[in-house]
Amino acid sequence: MPTPTLTQSIVITLIQCLLVVIFVFVVVPLTVFAERKVLGHLQQRLGSTRVASGHIGVTGWMNRGMWKWGKIPVLSYWRGIPGLVGDVLKLILKEDVIPAKADKFVFFLAPSISMVAAIVVFAAISFVPGTFFTFPTWFPYLGGLPVSGGISDINVGLLWILGVATVGVYGIVLAGWSSNSKYPLLGGLRSAAQMVSYEVPLTLSLLAPVVLSASLNFSEMSSRMAVGMPAWALIPQVIGFLLYLTCGFAETNRLPFDMPEAENELVAGFHTEYSGMKFGLFYLAEYINMTVVSALASAFFLGGPWLLPFGLQGLLNPYLPGFLSWFAAPHAIFFVAKIVFLLFTYIWVRGTIPRYRYDQIMAVGWKYLIPLALVNLLLAAVIRCFVV
Amino acid sequence: MEHFIETIGRNMFAIFGVLALVGALLMIGARSAIHSVLGFLFAMLNIAGCFLALEAEFLGVAQILVYAGGIVVLFLFVVMLVEMSKKHEGEVFQLQSRYAVLAVAGGVALFLGVFRKAIFGASSPEALVLRPELAKGLDVAHQNAQAVSRGLFADYLLPFEILSVILLVALVGAVVLAKTERV
Repeated sequence: MPTPTLTQSIVITLIQCLLVVIFVFVVVPLTVFAERKVLGHLQQRLGSTRVASGHIGVTGWMNRGMWKWGKIPVLSYWRGIPGLVGDVLKLILKEDVIPAKADKFVFFLAPSISMVAAIVVFAAISFVPGTFFTFPTWFPYLGGLPVSGGISDINVGLLWILGVATVGVYGIVLAGWSSNSKYPLLGGLRSAAQMVSYEVPLTLSLLAPVVLSASLNFSEMSSRMAVGMPAWALIPQVIGFLLYLTCGFAETNRLPFDMPEAENELVAGFHTEYSGMKFGLFYLAEYINMTVVSALASAFFLGGPWLLPFGLQGLLNPYLPGFLSWFAAPHAIFFVAKIVFLLFTYIWVRGTIPRYRYDQIMAVGWKYLIPLALVNLLLAAVIRCFVV
Repeated sequence: MEHFIETIGRNMFAIFGVLALVGALLMIGARSAIHSVLGFLFAMLNIAGCFLALEAEFLGVAQILVYAGGIVVLFLFVVMLVEMSKKHEGEVFQLQSRYAVLAVAGGVALFLGVFRKAIFGASSPEALVLRPELAKGLDVAHQNAQAVSRGLFADYLLPFEILSVILLVALVGAVVLAKTERV
């Protein structure tokens, strides 16, 4: 296999970045759409089935089409998907209001920090261990070169993810401060407190996979947590998974922990004063953060690019007949499927559990989640030390 | 092209270093406390970039995690809570400037000696390692975290533990302050 020159490897990295961006911009709008539909059905209504405005013109034609579409059994759930285009147009074309007394520079900076911190995390996430695909030899300039499954699978990948994700809190805090208005400020302060406190149990619950897999490299961790260890050593990590997911919900400010934007208390929290694409960046960042949390959960607890979670794949592999061996190997599609399932769980929980009170959130974080995470870490250490 | 990229790659440390200095200057020069904190954040991220350029990934990422992710957030939190009007803010912040200049001058004089030796003096061929037998079979370039942990928990265990005791003292002090205020 030829080794790429410096320029070639940079081009390959740019291609990987492009793939990641495409992945994000496919998953995020679909999650937004799914949120409407799933929440609708959870609340015994249909969700969005039409686009706005009446019976004439393009939208009227689309609405008539979607009325017919509703009679096809499964496809009827996908009605209203043209509404996404309208959403994006609205975000881009809406007037961008800047409050007169706002700190203009910080007001401009905050959404970009949120967005950049959310998307840069993907640098260390590897979708498949090893090579993702190889360019065919006829390909100009890059023929025969391999493209690895992650942009940069550095040896401290997990720390990179945690570190950059924490930078995202600035977006929210600064947005709250720079709006120069009281609801955003309260929302920003709440979120700073909430995110800093929930970072502790989040990191502690991720330390259990670190201890078990003895690595900080993303792909190494995910492969050891999927097939590298006996299943019974990993099954206790079901607790770790639930802990991580809870903290992840709090960290991404989703219900039941959406304190920074609790509508009935704070109007819309930290982004009350934002409109247009600046609001759009916050919106995108929230969904990208959800994707990142789901990606980490699926990589470290649900078996990553392997089919079965919690190390069960290692049990299954020896008994798989030859023609099913495709299921024993890692595939990016399994990884993405798990991410999508966890995104669905986000919506599911949002439709099921009511919002906590602010002091309850803090109490849960400090009094229950951190001790539980410590116990889980101790369990993992004992397993690592005496058994594996 | 190839040559150009290589030159940039080789000078990454200098680029990040200059940016960190710019951040530090922004921090000192900013009128509003929040802008100061932002300058500090910029400087911290660029110092992390310096570490990354030196292939010390663990240190670089720990820099982001601890400073950018933890400490500066707390600064921001405090600055936002202690809301001061613009004028008053300036007075409070410039109260200590003459002492600060003195302290910085002293620090510069002390560090110049170190820098002079570090830059112009003969460099030692190997890093100072107290127990080299522990380093055997360790690929430092790819096992950053392991190398750092060896340094902390084998070579320099006592200084490290003393540092953690200082942190513990600070913690206890914070608790005491918070408690006495409430009573």
